[in-house]
Parts: sequence; structure tokens; C-alpha cells
Amino acid sequence: MSLLEINDLYSGYGKVEVLFGISFKIEPGKSLGIVGPNGVGKSTLLKTIVGEIQPKSGSIKLGGTEIKGKNPEDIVRLGLCLVPEGRQIFGGLSVTENLQLGLTGRKDKSTSKKALDKVKEIFPVLTSHAKHQAGMLSGGQQQQLAIARAIIADPRILLLDEPSLGLSPTVIKDVFDQLKSIISNGTSVVIVEQRAHLVTSFADETLIMRNGKIQARITPEDAKDELKLKHAYFGSDN
Amino acid sequence: MVQAILDAISLGGTYALAALGLGLVFGVMRLVNFAHAELITISAYILVVTNDLPLIVSFIIAAVVTALLAVAMELLIYRRLRGTGPAIMLIASFGLSVLLQRVYELIFGALPKSAAIAPWMSGEVKVAGASVTISSIATVVITVVILLIAGYLIERTSLGLQLRAAAIDFKTARLLGVRSNRLIASAFAMSGVLAAIVGFIVVVENPQVSPMYGVNITILALVGIVIGGISSLRGSALGGFIVGVILSLLNTFLGNARVYAYSWLFLLVLIILLVRPGGIMSKANEMERV
Repeated sequence: MSLLEINDLYSGYGKVEVLFGISFKIEPGKSLGIVGPNGVGKSTLLKTIVGEIQPKSGSIKLGGTEIKGKNPEDIVRLGLCLVPEGRQIFGGLSVTENLQLGLTGRKDKSTSKKALDKVKEIFPVLTSHAKHQAGMLSGGQQQQLAIARAIIADPRILLLDEPSLGLSPTVIKDVFDQLKSIISNGTSVVIVEQRAHLVTSFADETLIMRNGKIQARITPEDAKDELKLKHAYFGSDN
Repeated sequence: MVQAILDAISLGGTYALAALGLGLVFGVMRLVNFAHAELITISAYILVVTNDLPLIVSFIIAAVVTALLAVAMELLIYRRLRGTGPAIMLIASFGLSVLLQRVYELIFGALPKSAAIAPWMSGEVKVAGASVTISSIATVVITVVILLIAGYLIERTSLGLQLRAAAIDFKTARLLGVRSNRLIASAFAMSGVLAAIVGFIVVVENPQVSPMYGVNITILALVGIVIGGISSLRGSALGGFIVGVILSLLNTFLGNARVYAYSWLFLLVLIILLVRPGGIMSKANEMERV
């Protein structure tokens, strides 16, 4: 059974339809990339999966359980966490308080202390800034905090919306290295990015979206073919 | 002078409690709950009509009823309108406020209801050689204790952390697992208890309770949360305190010109907003790095 299975998903904002029949699945411990130009519906897809937007039709199954129509707070407790675009850390709260908020969605509260220690091990920078106001961290540190805050809930699957946004190439490399370590611990990861090359070489499979639909599915091997990638990303006319 | 300082602190504390109640609900719902006034009013009415009972029993009844009314507002009205937009919520809160005033008029009559609540509080004691009323000392003690308890709840507990996070960004808080319905209901219940305490403090000083009894204090508390920083619970309480202190000092020192106290107060509010448009406690947000 797949960990996350999306079938024929239609979604949007009120009368404005954005997604048209999206289907994909991801297995436990695997990574999936979703790329495409601005405005093709990538963030809408993530918002629909996490329950921020109710889909018009289709199904979203997490570990075989239908989660369509559930609240975001219930979906977190079922093991699906989102690191939203722009990080959305609580700038006025301390780093530790941000991490403690991440524990809210954790099912097993008895192991919270262990979980805190574990994320600090993966992101050592958070220990030295524990008492600092999160808004004072650099962009890269804020991104690490946002990821740490999500994985502290012990998700089975982690969704990331544009994790490289506003980060320097060195910091992006660090963030993606940390994501590798999260995947190696058995958590599945879905990364949405505008910058295709970052994800195609990283993820086990990458979906290319255009006009609210999946246009192509490529593997890291396919991505080595620059022309094929360009055609998939921009369409064969380009 | 001692009496003037005590009066200023006690009025400041009272407005801080009212502003904190409003700020709690605004934080989780982005709703300016005008019907908060009617929560203060119902508390005062209950204290008047249950005046024959021991004070503590009377207050507990007032606190429970006010908290229940606050939660009922959320369950029956605001929850159903969630997601419709701030303008609709605002109009709903206006409507609810006016509706409850008319309901109070039907139940308690249009004329003020009165009773001597805790008459022993109107006595005087000597402090630093000056005569001060027991009620002003009691009000200062009550507001300090309640603000300390509220501060502990907000700063040191998991519920408080969730309330603070929700006040900054409710959507992200939900993505982390913060249960929206439970958190909002808790905020309304706490807001109701705070309104009941405010009702108790004001009814001791002014036991003439009418259907619009809580409106004035609520409007000034709203001014307080705006100048304190509408997205910060600490800012809300601080803003309310500042408004209360300024108003009390203006009333004391303007003498016969106290009729202009509100004009001076709002002039000061305008100056504060011109200097700090986001409110006094907006510094933390401005410091955020991008």
C-alpha cells in the first residue's frame, strides 16, 4: 500500500478551478519532486493535501485512510506535515517555542524530549540559538527551524513548499543534505520547487506540472537529458 | 495624590483586563468582538441580582454565566460565520451586541438596576498619610493578581503558547496541529471570565447597571489594543493599561475641564499611532529578518 495516494484530484478557490485530475502516489521512505513554472497549481496542490483547501472531487489517501475533508490539525496527527512557502516561522517567539509548537501535532507526547534532542542533533544551529527570537535568524536558519518544527511532530510524510526560496546555493545544499538524512530515517518527502534542477537530481521521481495537470514524470536519469527536461518543463512547443 | 495614583493604576488595570479579553479573541479569530461589552454587562447584572448571596458565590455565578455566554457566542454565531471575511464578522458582532442589549432590556428593564455590591469596599483607610478608598486598593490587588495569573497562563503554558502563536499566524498554527475549535472556544471562555472580573470591578464603583453598561469600557479597551499592538496579547494588556491610566489622570488633573478628558485622550492616541502605527509592541515584528 502506498503511503500517500492522490487520485483524480480537482481543486481550486471558489469558482476558480486550479487543479484538474491530479493523480500520483509515494511509497514510504521515498522522495517526490513537484516542479513547474509559477502559477501552475503546485502550492494549491499542497494546500489541498494538508486540508487548507477542500477539493472539489477526487481522493487523498494517507496510509489507506481517506483524509479529504479533514482539518489541517487532524491531518498533522495522522502523520502528514507541511513546511509552508516562506517558512512561516513565528518570528516573535523564541526558537525553542517554535519547536514546542511543533510538538502540538505529535501523537506520542511521552517522547517529546527525545524528539527535541533529535532535531537539535540534525540541526545543531538551533541549539546555539535556542533562546533567540526566531525572527532574528538568517533565512537559512529559519528554513532549518521550519523543517525541524515540522519533523518534531514525527510525520510519516513531509511536504515542503519552495524550501530553497531566498536561500544562497551553499545554504540550499545544507538544507537538501538535511532532507536526505530525514529520508534515510524513513520519512517520505515531497518537495515543491520552481527550480527544476534542484529537485530532479534529488528526488526518486519528479512530476512536472503545467496548467493544473501533471504533464510528465521524470527520474534522475531522465533529468540528465537537458532537452528532455526543458520540453517537459516548458512544453514541446518551447 | 496617593488616591490619584491608585485610581490611575486601578483604572489602567481594569482596562488592561478588558483589553486582554478582547485581544485573546482577536488573536485567534481576527474578530473585534463588540459584544464583549455585553459580557461585562451580564456579569454586572448577575452581581446585582444575586446580591443577597455571599459575594464569592455571587461572583462565581457571574463568572460561569459570562464564560458560558462567551462560548455560546462562538458556538452559535461566530463559528458558523468563520471564513466569511472580517467585515461580516464585525457586523455580526455589532448585531449581536445590539441584540443582547435589547434582550437585557426585556429581562432586566430599561431603567438601571442597582444594589450595593460589597459596601465595605467604599470605606477608607490611611496609606502614606492619605485617605484612600478600600475599593481602589482592592481593584489594584485584583487586577495585579489576575494579570499575573493571565501572564503565567499565556507565557508559561502550552495553551498560552498556542494562543500567542495563533495571534501571530493562526493558519500556520493549525498546520502544526493546534486544534482551532478548541483553542477558539478556550479563548472565548477566558475572555468571558476576564469580562466577568471587569464587570465585578466596575459594578463595585458604579452599581447602576443598564443594558449598555459595558459599552464605554469596551470601546476604550479597543482603543487600548490598537495602541498596544493588536497582534500581541502583551501589547493589548499594556495598551489597555495606558488608556486607563491616562484617562484617570486626565479626570483627576483637568479639574472642571474634565469634560475634555476624552478629547485629550484621543489626541494622545493619535500621536502614539502616528509615531508607532503598528502599536507600542509592534517592535518584535519590525525586527523580523527576511
